[in-house]
Amino acid sequence: MATLTIGVFPGLVGNMAYDFALKLAAAAVDKGHKVSIWFSGNATGSVKANQKHLKDYSTGEKHLKALLEKGVEMCTCEACTVARGIQKPEGIEGIQWNAMHWYLAKIHGADRVLHIGGE
Amino acid sequence: MKLGVFVSDYTITVDTLDRLKAEKLGIILVANGVYHATIKENGKTSPLLDKTPNLYVLSEDLQTRGIAESDVDKRVKVVNYGDVVDLIFNEYEKTAWL
Amino acid sequence: MGDVKLAFVVQRPQYKGETSRLAITHAIAYQTVEILLEDGDTVTPTLCFIGEGVLGLQKGQKAMDTYGITSTETHLKNALLVDLDVLVCKEDLEKYGIPEDSIPDAEEMGADKTIRVVPFSEIQKAIEDAKHVLFF
Repeated sequence: MATLTIGVFPGLVGNMAYDFALKLAAAAVDKGHKVSIWFSGNATGSVKANQKHLKDYSTGEKHLKALLEKGVEMCTCEACTVARGIQKPEGIEGIQWNAMHWYLAKIHGADRVLHIGGE
Repeated sequence: MKLGVFVSDYTITVDTLDRLKAEKLGIILVANGVYHATIKENGKTSPLLDKTPNLYVLSEDLQTRGIAESDVDKRVKVVNYGDVVDLIFNEYEKTAWL
Repeated sequence: MGDVKLAFVVQRPQYKGETSRLAITHAIAYQTVEILLEDGDTVTPTLCFIGEGVLGLQKGQKAMDTYGITSTETHLKNALLVDLDVLVCKEDLEKYGIPEDSIPDAEEMGADKTIRVVPFSEIQKAIEDAKHVLFF
């Protein structure tokens, strides 16, 4: 088993790189790897609970919950998240909130890192 | 350095890929990057396909766009998400998302 | 595991999207990462600016006055104050006609480090030396 850390910066709605990141994480877990995901920038908007899945838009919540159940560790950048008006009690349960050093710490222990840094 | 580069756009506005040197370079075409494997702009295949023999395109992103695997340039291997995981861990030491 | 070297490569200009700035602030976070690591473990990022990433680095920025946000210039000074290595591609500065002396330093704040304008080959070396590379 190896470890993969994924940094996700693009938003859930408006950029399908986000969808790619979650599907890649699921595939890595299915192959027995350990995965952690860091959300920063616009991606942090996806950690809010009670998302309505409209079929014209990508949805995050059900996929994030499925990844949590598979043991994927996830964390959102607290500063980026509160800057978007989302407070911790509104977040999806199980997703951690922390500062940017969380990402660097996960990278430190990772065998591979995929940093998706676009807007 | 063994570097796996994810290309997620068709229009590349930066020349980063031209400048990066790697003893083994892989290009993994995802999202709108898949068009590099299928489009012949003005009759010519994408210059990206000349950069390395290690070319991959994500099948799910072809299917999403209604592109048949038979339309993919013969130099490019069609892969799924599981294959991408194996590429990341087994073929390349570092990855870059451009 | 000891020290893990990282290359943060910024290839998009400041003040359009957010991620170019987040590259700097994430790199600065190396200063506090040790609280989450085992004794003796460290992370050492090198912050590199290439291509259009060299746009928006110049002295005299007034982003706080105009938009109420911390300027890239201030972030760069903070990076120097925490002893980050910051490299700017010489060829790209020349390409865009940006003089090297327009790049800020933090000498007045007591920083020992300065931003280094270097050929791309040196940035390539930083990428090769790093265990992981992060493109912003």
